[in-house]
Amino acid sequence: MKALRKFQFEISRIIMSSPLKINFDKGTLILQNVPEVLESQLPDIRWDERTLTFRAPAYRYRKIVSQLRAHDVPYQDTARQFTIESFTHQKAISPYPYQTEAIDAWHANGQRGVVSLPTGAGKTFIAILLIAETQRPTLVHVPTIDLMHQWHTVLTDHFGQEIGLYGGGQHELRDITVTTYQSAVMHAPHYGNRFGFAIFDECHHLPGEQYQYAAISSIAPFRLGLTATPERVDGKESRLYALVGECCYEAKVQELSGKTLSEYRVVTIAVEMEDTERIRYEEARSTYLNFLKQSRINMGTPRGWHTFLWKASQSDEGRAAFKAYLTQKQISFASTTKQEWVWKLIQRHRGDRILIFTQDNDTAYQLGTRFFLPVLTHQTKLKERNAFLNGFRDGTYSILVTSKVLNEGVDVPEANVAIIVSGSGSVREHVQRLGRILRKREGKQAVLYELISKQTGEHFVNKRRRQHDAYQTLQKFV
Amino acid sequence: MLTKDLLRYKIQKAQIYPQFIDPTNSELLRVAEQLIAVFETSPNESRATLLESSKHIIDSTQEAPIIKRGLEKLLLDRTEFDTAPNEELIAFRHKLFTATSRLLSQEQFEDYAAYQREVLQIMVGKSPMEQTELSAKLYADLPSSQPVLAFNTLSAERLLHRYNAAQVQGLLLHCNTVMLKLADSMTAELRQLFKYLRFNQLLSTIRKEGELYEITVDGPLNLFYKTKRYGMNLANFFIAVLHQPKWELTAEIQFRNKRRSRLSLDESCGIKPISQQFLAYIPEDIQLFQKMLQNKTDDWQVRPGSQFLPLAGDFYCFPDYQLVHKSGVETAIELFHPWHQGHLIARLNTLTEQKDVSLILGVSKELEKNSLIAEALEASAYFSQFGFTFRDVPTMRTLLPILNSLV
Repeated sequence: MKALRKFQFEISRIIMSSPLKINFDKGTLILQNVPEVLESQLPDIRWDERTLTFRAPAYRYRKIVSQLRAHDVPYQDTARQFTIESFTHQKAISPYPYQTEAIDAWHANGQRGVVSLPTGAGKTFIAILLIAETQRPTLVHVPTIDLMHQWHTVLTDHFGQEIGLYGGGQHELRDITVTTYQSAVMHAPHYGNRFGFAIFDECHHLPGEQYQYAAISSIAPFRLGLTATPERVDGKESRLYALVGECCYEAKVQELSGKTLSEYRVVTIAVEMEDTERIRYEEARSTYLNFLKQSRINMGTPRGWHTFLWKASQSDEGRAAFKAYLTQKQISFASTTKQEWVWKLIQRHRGDRILIFTQDNDTAYQLGTRFFLPVLTHQTKLKERNAFLNGFRDGTYSILVTSKVLNEGVDVPEANVAIIVSGSGSVREHVQRLGRILRKREGKQAVLYELISKQTGEHFVNKRRRQHDAYQTLQKFV
Repeated sequence: MLTKDLLRYKIQKAQIYPQFIDPTNSELLRVAEQLIAVFETSPNESRATLLESSKHIIDSTQEAPIIKRGLEKLLLDRTEFDTAPNEELIAFRHKLFTATSRLLSQEQFEDYAAYQREVLQIMVGKSPMEQTELSAKLYADLPSSQPVLAFNTLSAERLLHRYNAAQVQGLLLHCNTVMLKLADSMTAELRQLFKYLRFNQLLSTIRKEGELYEITVDGPLNLFYKTKRYGMNLANFFIAVLHQPKWELTAEIQFRNKRRSRLSLDESCGIKPISQQFLAYIPEDIQLFQKMLQNKTDDWQVRPGSQFLPLAGDFYCFPDYQLVHKSGVETAIELFHPWHQGHLIARLNTLTEQKDVSLILGVSKELEKNSLIAEALEASAYFSQFGFTFRDVPTMRTLLPILNSLV
């Protein structure tokens, strides 16, 4: 106790002569007049000989200020460029019990942390309630332009005030602003001190090599991460928790199925190829596999794919093997029989709202052109994207073909049938695609069809992605 | 710039060696000429047609495909495509999809052919539009169909030099810090280098080692992370390095999940500058400054900053302007704009103990709005004696008294 008092006395003596100052500089904090006794107490501060000051990453703002307050150290703060705002709901809202639990858990966790809920369980709604509770200028980070516009619409609707957009050619900062991760990485060094609350939607993206700087360059003391699946294949979710806070609330898809999510079933259809396609497939596959064998490439290892790419670029034989790899993949993705199955399913589900997913844009446009259907990919221009999505929601269009842009977040509650023509082995991708059809509607029974080419690599890909809980129940094979 | 798959390099004993091409190689010059000719005639053609013609050259010549694809990429970077939405097609699609949606929701078809006939009937009525024609039109505005608007041409030799520069830039995208050694000789080039540095939001430390200045260039967050966050800034900054007559560059390159390797280059690599250098050109701000000074006094002459200025603690700065009095007294001015906050704090800290430097500090009034900066200026004895603030450009009313106090 005596030692602490002596420490505090020493600090106040030094501070009296020149007060400690905190300033924001390009995604970092500059600290001046830091007493020597405090240097080891403040987290992550380092002497920067380029500017002859102490410096810290901006996200350490809360801890640094907390430490200064804990030691009764006076400081002059010009880093923080936000004040308390007054955000009010324009609509009467009542959360589900699990949403209230999630909000309480976030508060109990020190007003930071990750909330993990299945798609369709109302994560956006939780964010809206927390924006109104924290009353701080808020920056919402999202992975895609479609999600940015969707959040913009929802927030405008709820708060009845101008909502800023930053990304996809828009550069308007408001007290509540929605931005893309990509844009935030570029611009957070300039505005990272203007928001007190940072929300990271689909926050499993955040630990990416570049995206993490959106969180690192921001001083926001309050942080919320939203996702259906925080786990990452590379195990970097620990980085997410360090930047946003620990996972403070989690509910699984089965816990909410039939209650706040629709009832659903998964139907896997094993499809035979036509003879001519089978021959082409086998030829291409054998060229590809022979090259792997000769070059001693093990595709099961983490470096397998990179080694294949590298070796394939070194010789004519390698280039032929790479071409063969693409050919066999393309045949299994979009065989004639698969297209016939798509036709059968479209006819079976007349009157339903159907999303057709493919692994690549080529297959998506192939299906769109064959069946005269709207195709939504990253190549679709903004105005038409919105027209397609709105048309699908209001029933003008009953079917939408897409590759990957609708995998995440975009809200299409009317969709009740999903047809996966092709996809990756990613469990996350398939859970998210399933999530597109799970929004609750009265009497809705959702169905997800997976079309798998028999005796092809797709069989193993399908096996990998079915490891998730959501796939363990209600599954049927045809 | 070149993407990683188009870079050519070798790594030996933790050193990375870019595989430069010979810009005088007649075969390569011939391929470059052919590719440039294809791009020059491309306006109004579609992207797909352009790429097909380009592919034909790539496939039909002997040189390594990776080099030719690299040249093609650099030419594509100089090509502007028409990416505006095609309103006519958008309206056509809306009409078609509204119709097909109604058909598929409400009607049971005998087979796909029956559906196809019905769609053709609705969309084209009696006109003989075939399925293939309709399909071809449906998504005819995808990127592959976008027409070329313009191509910014260049000579074949310049393209090959640009290719070599792009090899280095492509590697610098994967580094976190660049170390430079420069001679203090070609002052106009140095001035441009420091403009590039500040423009790219980078930080530097300058030290003298023998006859050379050693400059470490990186970004604010490099203090905490070995981040490649500033890779693009450093790659862009390299353009200015090429204008220096004598330079050495070292950088640690690290590709994803790979070990670090060191890139060491100097002017002997032979890459010619790829950007315009306007050395004879006197920047507008200097012209304005000269005019304003001449209107007030004939005693002082101003010229662009032209040499490193030693500061306390083995540091150096590179001022914006040098001023010479008719008596021979010399001084320099360093300007700090709104985006130079970190630099200003550093300079004020360095100058606290400075006794024998003749450097005048000009600080933007925008910067002064920051209370921390305002207080730092207020507290700085050096600034109160040798500093002034300005709105857009320095005014003589604030500067002349300081200048006159020096003589």
